[in-house]
Amino acid sequence: MTAPAASDQAGFDLSSIPERIQSEVQRAIARSIKGVEYISTSGPSLGSTPKDVLSTRGTMNLYHYRPVEDEIYRVPILIVMATTNRGYILDMVPGQSFIEFLLKRGYDVYMLDWTAPKPEEKSLRMEDYVLDFIPDCVRQVQRDSGENDVTVIGYCFGGVLSLLYGSIFADGPMKNLICFTTPVDFREMKLFQNFSDRRYFDVDHLVDSIGNVPPEMILSSFEMLRPASRAASQVQLWENIWNDQFVKSYRMFDRWATDTLPLAGEYFRTITKDLMWDNKLFNDTMSVSGRKADIASIKVPMLHAVAEHDHIVPYAAARPLIEKIGSADKEEVILKGGHVSLVAGPNAVRRLWPKLDSWLCERST
Amino acid sequence: MADKSNDPVALWQNMIGEMEKGFNAFANQAMASPQFSKVVNQVGGATAGAQKQLGELMEKYLLTMNLPSRAQMVGMAERLQSIEGQLNEIKSMLHHMQGNSANTGSGHPATPRPPRTKRPPPAGGEQK
Repeated sequence: MTAPAASDQAGFDLSSIPERIQSEVQRAIARSIKGVEYISTSGPSLGSTPKDVLSTRGTMNLYHYRPVEDEIYRVPILIVMATTNRGYILDMVPGQSFIEFLLKRGYDVYMLDWTAPKPEEKSLRMEDYVLDFIPDCVRQVQRDSGENDVTVIGYCFGGVLSLLYGSIFADGPMKNLICFTTPVDFREMKLFQNFSDRRYFDVDHLVDSIGNVPPEMILSSFEMLRPASRAASQVQLWENIWNDQFVKSYRMFDRWATDTLPLAGEYFRTITKDLMWDNKLFNDTMSVSGRKADIASIKVPMLHAVAEHDHIVPYAAARPLIEKIGSADKEEVILKGGHVSLVAGPNAVRRLWPKLDSWLCERST
Repeated sequence: MADKSNDPVALWQNMIGEMEKGFNAFANQAMASPQFSKVVNQVGGATAGAQKQLGELMEKYLLTMNLPSRAQMVGMAERLQSIEGQLNEIKSMLHHMQGNSANTGSGHPATPRPPRTKRPPPAGGEQK
């Protein structure tokens, strides 16, 4: 038996002080060394799962990831990325790549990813995304895979675009629809609502003046939702800079989070007026180029994954989707995590990905 | 497990976490007010106007200096991108032609595509 540790009246373990001091000194030294390394090196290479570019047209890019299994499911998957962010959030590094996970589980994966719209693409409208880019990619997936059916997965605003596409093209070829953190009731995005208050926010003046909405503006509107978090995360980075695993993960997510894309001006105007101001998706009055986009017309099997602590798309904004959609086979899963940790990182590896696989495999034959 | 209640490092980390939460909550409350929206959008509107004027001035300046304007550079980038796009299309067509000729048994070997015959694992079965 060991002697009881010396302690003061508050229960403080005095014998551990020298050990703790030594550990903190070692970490302080490691911080200095690693800090220099951090500044002088670049982060890990992201989005490196082998892929072929099937098509590039302006802001639109269609990738096909090379299958890795000897046998794959019949129905290919088309992932529609959010227009504000890069698709590599779903393909971080080996072991933490959603794409790699899907390939290893035997799916045939395509991704509709976006690059920054150029100044002359400021006139791209919602119609271009919903009635041109997505249908074009679906056709290319059909042609490339030789299959008529396609499963569509939409992340965040990619989910909204997928819903609009699925509503308008309700007769196919979409076979399954999976949405990640997809807002439907835009009144519930309280702070975004206030930022874009129609009494003070002159969207016409903004778009007419600057064309595309710059990425800095998009990024700061996201950061304003949690204004102290960036500073706090930097303090956390400094504390953990001796920890290679922490630093690698920090760099991956930080790079992605700050790699925001501009939004095409006309497209942004429609989002603001139709969705933020008039809440047309929720009110069943949404139309794209005169074609009614009613979520209730979607009848295909549908899975909606939402995050319990999502500060960008609060649960209240995403909740009505499962009620409104016309599918008989539909399921909502609420998982622990935030807007990003739902789909990427250790949380997603444990929770979302296996759930998605078990739901989708039965519907992919 | 080590007792975290008296660990100064854990206390510090906890304090930072609490401060972050507190500040975020306070700021969110302040940002939810119509006054905040009014001020931010007034500033934003003025900035957008100034940005537009500055852009126009720069265009004139570049023209005077006999330098290519942004529009010209963008035009060149467009042409390059269009060429890249066409190359991709040709590559994709070649890929398909190669696949077709391999299927008829008369051409070069194509990149094999796995068969689309996979079935879901049996209920309760573990996937590799």
